Amino acid sequence: MTVKFTINGVPVEAEKGESVIDVARRYGFEIPSLCHHPAVEPYGACRVCLVEISKGGRKKMTTCCNYEVQDGIEVVTDNEDIRRNRATVIELLLAEAPKAKAIVKLAEEYGIHKSRYEKEGDPVAQMHDGCILCGLCVRVCTEVVEVSALNFTGRGDKRNVGTPYMETPQNCIACGACAYVCPTDCIGFEEENGVRRLKKWNRELPLAKGEDGRPFAPQFQLWYFTQKAGLDKDFYKKGGPGSR
Amino acid sequence: MEKLNVFASRLLPKEDFVCAGHRACQGCAEVLAMRLVHKALGRNTIAASATGCMEIISSPYPETAWAIPWIHVAFENSASVASGIESALKALMRKGRLPKRKINVIAYGGDGATADIGLQWISGAMERGHNMIYVCYDNEAYMNTGIQRSSSTPLHASTTTSPAGKVVPGQQTWKKNVVEIMAAHSIPYVATINPSYPFDLVRKVQKAAAIEGPAYLHAYSCCPTGWGSRPEIGIQLGRLAVETGIFPLYEVENGQYRVQEKQETLRPLKDYLKTQRRFRHFSEAMIAQSEQRVKKEYELLLKKEQMTKEGV
Repeated sequence: MTVKFTINGVPVEAEKGESVIDVARRYGFEIPSLCHHPAVEPYGACRVCLVEISKGGRKKMTTCCNYEVQDGIEVVTDNEDIRRNRATVIELLLAEAPKAKAIVKLAEEYGIHKSRYEKEGDPVAQMHDGCILCGLCVRVCTEVVEVSALNFTGRGDKRNVGTPYMETPQNCIACGACAYVCPTDCIGFEEENGVRRLKKWNRELPLAKGEDGRPFAPQFQLWYFTQKAGLDKDFYKKGGPGSR
Repeated sequence: MEKLNVFASRLLPKEDFVCAGHRACQGCAEVLAMRLVHKALGRNTIAASATGCMEIISSPYPETAWAIPWIHVAFENSASVASGIESALKALMRKGRLPKRKINVIAYGGDGATADIGLQWISGAMERGHNMIYVCYDNEAYMNTGIQRSSSTPLHASTTTSPAGKVVPGQQTWKKNVVEIMAAHSIPYVATINPSYPFDLVRKVQKAAAIEGPAYLHAYSCCPTGWGSRPEIGIQLGRLAVETGIFPLYEVENGQYRVQEKQETLRPLKDYLKTQRRFRHFSEAMIAQSEQRVKKEYELLLKKEQMTKEGV
């Protein structure tokens, strides 16, 4: 079913169930966002994708990543009001993760060079260690990898992303999808001497060797693949397609 | 980042701007590289294409595989046209006829268009400092016209204009190092990319797009038709090329060298050569000659990385 509405006065069409941000980006409107990824469910954590949506004469400012398209709404993606609100949000995020390149770049676009909220030795920021709690790693681990090695812990200022009991997650396959999707690069993915390491989760896995004797993927990950795809358990030992 | 596999690949953008239905040969890794480049660049892109494989296969009249603005120009001047597009966009934005936003301008050509015919045009565009990306899809000969040698063809490779015979064993010169020529322009970003390492490719393209000023990318692209390799081993060939050191992955960012997928010991070059018909006539002596040169160049590259390291 097609839904018709307007973005910045331009009439657009979308399928029912799509989110406003996906439609806007498809039509070439730029909306900044840190926590949105089309492969996973929207979550609305970073609040950077604020837009103004008018419906039946009522105007409200809301995040557009978790706003489903509706007939007849009018979306405005950029005006002075929106920019001011986004700037505040970005300034708060910058205080959490002052070293994250994506946020610094976004802040510069909005004319922020130093966050007013940044404090030396803030215990909450130290606990988060560059994480902005956007939940992308949690959602990817649950929905795409289907391992669920990560989740949120605690409430209020104790809220953090972590592993069960904050210990080394035994079901993590070290696929690195969390490190790939992280907007602040705070997870730390490295590989040396035949061991793959995910720093933030304190997970280390030895790598299996391919037919040519070069390490290529963690043994545990390969085991997970064979289980999930119903492959023969020696599939990768026989020099299956994974080794190349 | 390269070793991320399987799941991270599902997190790449879903949209394609080089669409299915193009007419590339079976097993073409060049079009795969191009597809990934445009996936990484996204919708706000204008492309200028030199004549070559990628132009022929993507726009047979009256069809097109392109979902972005795309212009086909002569063999040599895709870089000039892209620099014109960039200047025009700048002027329009200054006059307020276009809203100010980031629009990527990309020019691309094959190795013939880059290393032989278009070299001075590219050199000019890089020297003038336009904010654009040039991508060379290097399949090491003029493939779409019938596999004629180019200056990018490797030593002793057999092509239709450098056939291997009893007296002359194929191509007589070593491959022209265009990457180093571009690095010598002191432009902000030069890198080599390989579709067998997709995350590395995507990261480098996004970096090139984010940088202000010209960027040059050199893509390894396997050509089953011209090289006489089996079409199903295209990805394997790309990996072999990196592991044997014949096409190392590296980037030069503001004069600073960084090698990716560093090899502790290079694989024997024979593993790479024996997969292709164009190297079929190789004698042991010829293999040793090429291997020596490859080793020397790889060591030189590692030395350059050491020398330009931060803090040295």
